[in-house]
This record gives sequence, C-alpha cells and structure tokens, in this order.
Amino acid sequence: MLRGLSSAVRRGRTLYAGRSLHITARICLNGIVNQDVQIAEEKPRAIFRTSESNPANHTEQHDCQHYSIPLEEVKVIFPHGLPRRFKEQIETFKEACLMVRKPAVELFGYLKSTNFAQPAIRYVLYGESGTGKTMTLCHAVHYCAKQGWLVLHIPDAHLLVKNCKQLLQSSYKTERIDQPLQASAWLKNFRTSNEHLLREIKTQQKYTWNKWDSTEEGRPLVEMVEQGITRMKTATDVVGAVLKELKRQCSLGSFKLLVAVDGVNAFWGKTTLRKRDKTLVSPEELALVHNLRKMVMNDWSGGAIVTTICQTGSVFKPRLAYLPHELLGDEGFSALEPFVPIQVPKYSEKEFESCYQYYLDRKWLQHEKARTPDGRAELLFLSGANPAQLERLAAML
Amino acid sequence: MAAAVRRVLWLSGVSGAARARPGAQTLRLICTSTAVQNRSHIPGPPVYTQDFIKEQTEEFNLGKRHLANMMGEDPETFTQEDIDDPKELFPSKSVCQWGEDGRPFHFLFYTGSQSYYSLLHEIYAKLLRIQKYEDEMRAQGSFPGTGNELKLIGSRWLIKEELEEMLLDKLSDQDYSLCIRLLERLVASPCSGIEEEYMAKFRRGYVVQVQRFMNEPLQYDEQGVAFSTGEGKRKTARATVIVYDNGSGKITVNGVHYIHYFPILQDREQLMFPAQFLDRLGKLDMVCTVSGGGRSSQAGAIRLAIARALTSFSTKNEVECMRQAGLLTSDPRLKERKKPGQEGARRKFTWKKR
Repeated sequence: MLRGLSSAVRRGRTLYAGRSLHITARICLNGIVNQDVQIAEEKPRAIFRTSESNPANHTEQHDCQHYSIPLEEVKVIFPHGLPRRFKEQIETFKEACLMVRKPAVELFGYLKSTNFAQPAIRYVLYGESGTGKTMTLCHAVHYCAKQGWLVLHIPDAHLLVKNCKQLLQSSYKTERIDQPLQASAWLKNFRTSNEHLLREIKTQQKYTWNKWDSTEEGRPLVEMVEQGITRMKTATDVVGAVLKELKRQCSLGSFKLLVAVDGVNAFWGKTTLRKRDKTLVSPEELALVHNLRKMVMNDWSGGAIVTTICQTGSVFKPRLAYLPHELLGDEGFSALEPFVPIQVPKYSEKEFESCYQYYLDRKWLQHEKARTPDGRAELLFLSGANPAQLERLAAML
Repeated sequence: MAAAVRRVLWLSGVSGAARARPGAQTLRLICTSTAVQNRSHIPGPPVYTQDFIKEQTEEFNLGKRHLANMMGEDPETFTQEDIDDPKELFPSKSVCQWGEDGRPFHFLFYTGSQSYYSLLHEIYAKLLRIQKYEDEMRAQGSFPGTGNELKLIGSRWLIKEELEEMLLDKLSDQDYSLCIRLLERLVASPCSGIEEEYMAKFRRGYVVQVQRFMNEPLQYDEQGVAFSTGEGKRKTARATVIVYDNGSGKITVNGVHYIHYFPILQDREQLMFPAQFLDRLGKLDMVCTVSGGGRSSQAGAIRLAIARALTSFSTKNEVECMRQAGLLTSDPRLKERKKPGQEGARRKFTWKKR
C-alpha cells in the first residue's frame, strides 16, 4: 500500500505543482480506510431513511424517506389499526418504519391549517387496492397523537358489518342491534391510546345503563369506558354515549378530536349479517354504525375527519372498484359530501427505489439476483409498482 | 420338405463333381444332421457386390441421359431428386463374412455383432493412445490445456439409428449408450485433440431452423415509433399483441392494466418472460387483446404472441436463442377426450371389489 502511495505521489509531482498537492491530499484521504467506509455507509442511508421521527416536521424534503416510530409509541398509539402484514414486519425487523409520501404530506398541510372554529372537514383517502391508504391514515394518526389530539381510530369498519358472532337486541332502542364483542374490544384499545386525555374529560349528563349501573355527571370518561369494558352488554351503549360526549365537548375547544375511520364505505352499503328471522340487517340497524355515522357528519367543530375507502374488506363490491362514488354508493356519497378527496397512487420511481433500498438494507431480499439491476427490473414489473404486491414478492425472496 | 429334397439332390451332384465320375449318377438318400451339413451353398439374403452396384450405376447414368434427352434437358447437368439412386434402392448390406472354408474373416464374428465390438475396441485403442500421448507430454513437462469443448458446440453425437446405419448392425439401447459413454470418455481427456478427425465421424451438426420463425420487418406509426404485431394461441385462448418500441413497460390487456387483469403472480411471470429473456424489460409498451380459454391459457397465448412480435425487433442469434428456450413454439397440448366407461380422460370409475 505504501509503495503504491509513494509511486502515486511521484506521479503527482511530475504534473503541475498546485495540482500535485491536491492529488497527494486526495490520495492520503483515500488511504484512510475508516473514513472511506463511513462515507460509503452514510450515503445509501441518506437516500431512504430520515432521522426525523416527529411527523409534524415531515415536509416535501423528506419525501420517499422512511422514518421509524419507537416501539413504545407504537404500543400506545396503535393498539389496533396497523395492517396485519405491517405488524408482522415490525416483529421481524424490530422497528416500525413508515415511508413519508406525498398524500400524507398534503394531508398534514391541510391539518395544520384547519380552522377549529369551522365545522370539521372530511378527508377521503382513495386509491387502488394495496397502494397504502391505511398506512397513510396511520401516519396521520401518529401525527395527531404527537400533537396531543384525541384520536378516535376505527381500524376497519368492515369488521362491524360482517362476521359478527353475537348480535343482541339493543335495550336502548329496540329496533337497533348491539355488537358487544366488537364494542368492548374497541373500547379497550381506545382507552389504551387516549388514557391521559380521557381522564380529563368529564361527562356532562347522567347515564343509566341498566337497573344496577349508572354513571354520574362530572365523572371522567375513563370510568364510563371501564364500565363498557367490564359489562359487555352495555358496551355498545357506552360507545354511543362516549361519542356523543366527545362531539359535544369538542366544539367547546378544550381538546382537538381526530376521527380516523378505515373503510368508511362499510357504513353505507350492505351487511352480511342476518337477524334471528333470517332477514338481512341493514347498516343503520346496527347501533355502532348508526352512532359512527353521526360522528362522521360535519356538524361539529374542533377537529378533523380522515377516512379511507377500501375495497379489500368490503362486501358485495367489484374487485377493481376504487373511486369514491363506486365504493360509497349514492347514499354514502351524498352523506359524506362535501369532502376533500386525496388520491394515494402507486409507488413512483423514487418511492420504489426507496422501498427497494430499505428491503436490501434490512437484508429482507435474500436472493442473490435481487441485488442486480435485472432483479430490480423484474421486481418492478411483477409488482407493477404496487406497494402491497412488492411487499408480498419481497417476502417470498 | 422341398428343402430336404434339394439337400439330397445337391449332395448327389456334389459327390458327382468331387469324384469326377462321369455317368455314374447314383441317387443315394443321405440323411445328415444339420450341424454337419455345409450351408455355404444355400443362397442367403441377396448380396449386392461392388461390381453389381457399379453395373447398376452405369445403367442408371445411361438411363438418366436418355431421360434428359427425352425431356429436352441438358444431359450433363441433369439432376432430379425424384429418381432413386441405386445406392438407396439397394442399401449396402453386410457382405459375406466367412470364406469358403467356413471360417469367418473377422476375429469378433462369434460375438454376434462384430462391427459394434470392433468399434468399441478401436475407440479404446484411441483412448490408450491419447493417454500415452498425455503421459509423454507430462514427462516432457508441458501440461495440456482444455480446448476440446469448443469443438463440440453446435454438433451432437450420432443417434441410435445413424449408428446402426454406420455399423450395419442391430443395436440395443444399452449398446448404444455404452458406445456414447466411451466416446464421451474419449472427449473428456485433455489431449483428445489428436483424435479430432476420428471423433468428427461420430458428430453431426445442428441445422439452424431460424428461417421459420422470422417475423415480418418492423412497421412505423405516425409518430415514428416502431411497432410489430404478433399472434399466439394456447388451448382455446387466442391473443394478438402490438409491441411498441421506446416504451416504459406498460402493458394493457383488453383495455385493463395487466396488474388488474392478472392478479395471479404466475400469469404476470409468463408475460414478463419474453421481454426479460431479451433484456428489454422496461423498454417496450404492449397492447394485447385476448379471448377464450382460462386465465392460465390466456397468459400463455399472450406470451407466445409477444415472443413472435419480438422477433421483428431482434437479431437472428436472438431469435435462435428464443427458439431454443421454447418461447416460439406453440404448446400443442389440448384437453384430452373423455372415454366411455371412464369418468374422465384417465380417471376410471371407483373399483368395487364386490
């Protein structure tokens, strides 16, 4: 190595004097191995990772870069709501990395400039299946949670309208139907994510659940939620009451509310549930859906409503439908109108490259051909730049 | 019966000739066992000697000149493939393999297939020669390189029928494979270059069949973009594809993006194969129309159509590579007919013992 250096120096000296100095300096620099390696390590990391972990500071400058959420925050903010495959990925990689994409940055721009005196604006994230609508919603939830908003996150509204084992006739209104399991599970997760805020908010009226249980006025909402979790039969009514309280009190301005619903098209469609007499249940007969529909209305102020419309879990909708009108139907569209549509597209070239580099960095792509440009072209073609397809392909390699 | 009579008569004749007793024609019934009898006089299968073939060739040439005169052609340069060459009409058969005394000429006659075993001996002798040569080279200190594989590219060993024709002997499959293994062993040794001409006798070259698969030349549309059409089929699916140059890898099938039309990975892999094979994966745009069949056969039909369209964009070598990869061959498999007495094409009804 030294011989090479000295010969290079000699060669350098034969050239123009000033340049030779530059050359020798460069050679010396290159000779130091550590620095070389450091430079090489930092450069690829800079492309697809950012160290900015507060979504409030995510701008277009961080476009296509992955930021990681600390795992303790994930447990608190996302007890439910992350897609199943992403949860498995978190377990495998021991880190939760989300890509900052243009639709999310656009949404943050809108959220930052909301006028809380005006009625809540509805944002509808739409796009083809597998393009990242749920992940964008989770990004928004993280942002609002960091800002201190109270987050009402319904992970998948489709789960309320299908595969429900227990249906009870509501004691509050006889024509409505209760879903105790779903309601109590949701209340548990709701309490986990918003514990500190729920302790401060107080009820403004007395609620009588049944002959033995009631909640007085002025009690913290946490108590009501605990009541719903312990007594499953009253869970649906508790949910209804909680939503009513939050709506009423949010307009007063003591806290900001984010209503995040994934698959809002489930509220205005059909269900696969049947009553005892084998007649079909329509969504408004379900108490949970009825109350949530009221929540998604823009007759309250002091927050925002971010929703996604999803074909993947929907019932009786064609596979290739993704536009709002197709999935919401006339009823849903007129109910949600006016809303701000935000399209979530497939990966662009830059986003694909970022995702690909991330998988390579995590050593997720084990196939030796995956590192070659040919392999990359093959991945791009077979996934069609669709994030979900790419993730499934990468899992196979 | 007639043969026995003939045997008897012939004996009398022979005895007469041998003893040279004119007039004394005694007819004696001599019964001999077949082992003692000399069979060399019995005419075996027709044997065409060299003189016979020469005669026939001269007659053939004369007849050819007559025919040329009759047809008004020039007799000197008259060639017509329809007229059979006597060499083909009278195929070379093995000549008589034993002399008048009954002793066979070849030392391996009693093995049953003398030419085959003599060939094996020859090849082994060559092998020993090569090994001796190699030892000499090593003793001198020069180590031989490996340059033999290059000569084997583009040619193949004789097939069994060709070897049988060469040896004029029936072979079994095991015999043939043994011979080929021995030849492979000969080739595998590093100094086998010295026996190249001998080995070339056992090699046949491949015929390049590219001509069938060359497509029409490229067409150009209004913007000047080159495009080409291809058709393909598989089972009952029929597909037509138009491939445009200078594209970005966008594929539309019946107006729908290929990700939505083919949600299954296997079908998309089929679409990808022709372009990936020619290293043009993200550079072409394709518009496909397909009808009939199921999802897998539609994918196969589109793949064939794309490959055929791509022949217009590629060189002869690339087309030959595609042909060898099987991209240009239409899959002939069709649904097999259901037979009566069976539940399906192959499935039999459940067998009940009683």
